[in-house]
Parts: sequence; structure tokens; C-alpha cells
Amino acid sequence: MSLREAIQYSLMILLYLFLQIFFMRNIVLFNYAFCFIYIAAILLLPADMDRMYTLLIAFAVGFVVDVFSNTFGMHASATVLIAYLRPFLIHYQMKSRGAERAEVGIRAQGLGAFVSYIFPLILIHHSMLFLMEMNNFGMILYTLIRIGASALFTTILIILLELFSKR
Amino acid sequence: MLQLVDFVVRNRFFLVFVLLEVLSAWMIVRNNTYWGATYFNTSNYYVAKTLAFSNSVRDYTKLDEINADLASENAHLHAQVARLSQTNPSQLPAGYVPDSAFAARFSYTVAKVVDNETNKANNVITIDKGTAHGIKPGMGVISATGVVGKVRFCSEHYSVITSILHSNFMVSSKLVRSKEIGYAKWDGKDPNLIDMIDVSKYTKVFKGDSAVTSDQNSVFPPNIMVGKVQSVAVNPNQTFYNIVLKLATDFRNLSYVYVVQNHQLVEQENLKARTIELKK
Repeated sequence: MSLREAIQYSLMILLYLFLQIFFMRNIVLFNYAFCFIYIAAILLLPADMDRMYTLLIAFAVGFVVDVFSNTFGMHASATVLIAYLRPFLIHYQMKSRGAERAEVGIRAQGLGAFVSYIFPLILIHHSMLFLMEMNNFGMILYTLIRIGASALFTTILIILLELFSKR
Repeated sequence: MLQLVDFVVRNRFFLVFVLLEVLSAWMIVRNNTYWGATYFNTSNYYVAKTLAFSNSVRDYTKLDEINADLASENAHLHAQVARLSQTNPSQLPAGYVPDSAFAARFSYTVAKVVDNETNKANNVITIDKGTAHGIKPGMGVISATGVVGKVRFCSEHYSVITSILHSNFMVSSKLVRSKEIGYAKWDGKDPNLIDMIDVSKYTKVFKGDSAVTSDQNSVFPPNIMVGKVQSVAVNPNQTFYNIVLKLATDFRNLSYVYVVQNHQLVEQENLKARTIELKK
């Protein structure tokens, strides 16, 4: 990874954190759909990035969000989980398409492949987050609706941001 | 030995992953450790400053409602002053002398809400007063319209409050007309509604009755509004009502709160602690 790319990706991570902390934390649709846009920072890292760095970046990003929302490590653990699972999914997709290089992004992958890459990871992240937050089992149905609605909302926003962003 | 090194090198990603997960789990479980309570939450100076900045923009749009709340609080206080000045002390039992230190045990500090959340399963509020203004963990927090919560963490200039919309927070409250005492506890769903539990079903509960903080509270002054009874249901198998209260405070528009300090809390708690020691 060249220096220019490294700076570019650091700026991208900062931008997503900024979006999350200043805007998205206040936006909740119908009391159900939350948006955790910051995980895009992990999902959109280059596919050939060193896995160790990905894990550490994920922990740092999750931890910053934790500090700003008083959750003490819930975001960190969920984000580290998807950072760990991400290479497996990328590898699986690359194999099934028979592609030479692993690339991430709506332009490189096409819409269908991109959605099938981000949606499972977002779903895993949100499930982990909301299930950890749930405090009694009676809320299970309510929590499941929240997970589904939030995963959809986050996916749509990430796709929109990807469509309108110029690399 | 070489095999061990080989194993670690081959599985280093998985090991780091497990390590980070254990670290975050530890942070969640031990969230009351000194550094966790001091630096890594929204009472951290820089975090709170950032949030205050983003909140200041939104505050202008809420000024109307804040004014209306303050006006209604004024009206309420006027009514109370009038009522108190008219009460004749003959209702008191013979020989009872009210203690002025007991009557004046509460003092109030005004604070501005820096950050506020209502949609999570456990909600907290950050305010802009801290230990420098005499605020300590455990103090009660009320607003112009009703009960808000309890102080959890303090830094020098900021504090984090466990809102009433939090799973481990209960307020001892009293129904005004039926004079029944129960606990108000949030079920984690709608930020406008709160459950009232432990009210015996052998008394009559009226719809629209007000629930206020009871006299058995050491944190809140008595007669602070909690909510109004919205629905009452009886489960035939149980001896308690299922009462749903509509909260008096709209947590989404919370802007200014009062931190309540009970000067006799320490004395009261010490006394209670002694009864527990005696039982042992």
C-alpha cells in the first residue's frame, strides 16, 4: 500500500467516524431503524490489506464509537467480529466468480456482488450489537425487528454513499 | 517448543481476534473500573465538548418547548407556594415538631444537557456539571416536567446520568388518588411509556391518575411527577396490577435538568447499612 493510499484510507475512516458521531447517532427511523454507518470504514478497506491491521483498525474504530455512546466495548467487539469474518467472505466470493484479484467496492464488484458482500456482515454486526444490548428475553421479537430494520437502513445508506462518492 | 511457535504464527489472526474480543467483553463487564468510569465515556472532557458543540445547533430549534416547560413549571410552583402557605399545621399529630434541617435537606443545581439518547435499550444522558460543581455519583436528577434519572459517573466538568429509560433503574412512586406505592421501571421499548409494578390489585386504580415520587425515596424529593396512568390491566393469576404510565417528561426534548442533592443522604444510608450489619 502506497503512502497516498494510506492517507486516503485514513481520511475515509475519519470521515465515517465523523458522520457516525455527529449525524447518524441522532437519526432513528420509526424508533426501529438505526444506522451504524461507521462499519463502512471497515467494509471498504482494500481487500488485500493485512488482516492484523484490519483487526486493530476495527477495534480502534469500534472503541471510539463506544466512548461516544457510553457502551464500553459493545461496538468494538461487534466490529472486530466482522473484521475477522471479512476475508473469508471476500475469498469465497473471489473463488465463486473466478476472479483474479480481490477487490471491494460497488464499481469493482458490481451492485449484486457488493450487496451480497456487505449485507451478511452488516447483519452479523447488528445482531451482535442489539443482542448484547437486550436485557431481558421478552424483548426478543422487538430486538429482531430492530436488527432487520437497522441492517436494511445501514446497507441502503452505504450503497448510496458509495454511488455518490468519487474515488 | 518449535511446534508451539509454529501454531501461534499460523493462527495469529485468530488469536488476535480472540484477544480483542475478550478485551471488549472485559470492558463491558467491568464497566465500573476506575479508568473506564473516568476516561472512556461521555463525561470525558474532550468527548463532551465535541457533543456539546453538535448539540448547540439543535438547541435553538427547541427553545419554544423549553420556554413552555419552564412557564408551566412556574405555574406549578406558584400553586404549591400558595397551598403550602395555607396549610394549617393542625393536621400534624400532636407533639410532632417538623425539623427544619429535614425540610431543607434538598438543594438543586441547574445543568444543561450535552448529550441525550432515548432509543437504546439502556439510555444515558450527559450534562455539563461535574465534581467541580459539587455533583457526585448517586444524586437524583429531575427536570421542569418530572423525574429524569440518577448520576452515574462524574468528571471534573461533566457527568453521565442513568436515565429512567434504563434497565437497571427503578423509582419508588406513589399514585396520588389511590395512595398506592409501587416501582416505576422501563421495559425497554417505547420512550414515552413506563411500567409501574408492585401495586396491589385489591385497591382501585384510576385511569389518568398521576404517579409521583413517593416519600420513601432518599434520592428524589417527594411529589415529583413521574407520569400519568394510561392503562390498567389485571392478570388473573397475579396479585399485582399491570399499570402503564405515560411519562411526564419528554426525553427527546430534554435541555435543562436539575441535579438534586440530599444533604442527609449519607446519614440515612449509614443508618440503613447498620441494620444490615446487625442482621448478619
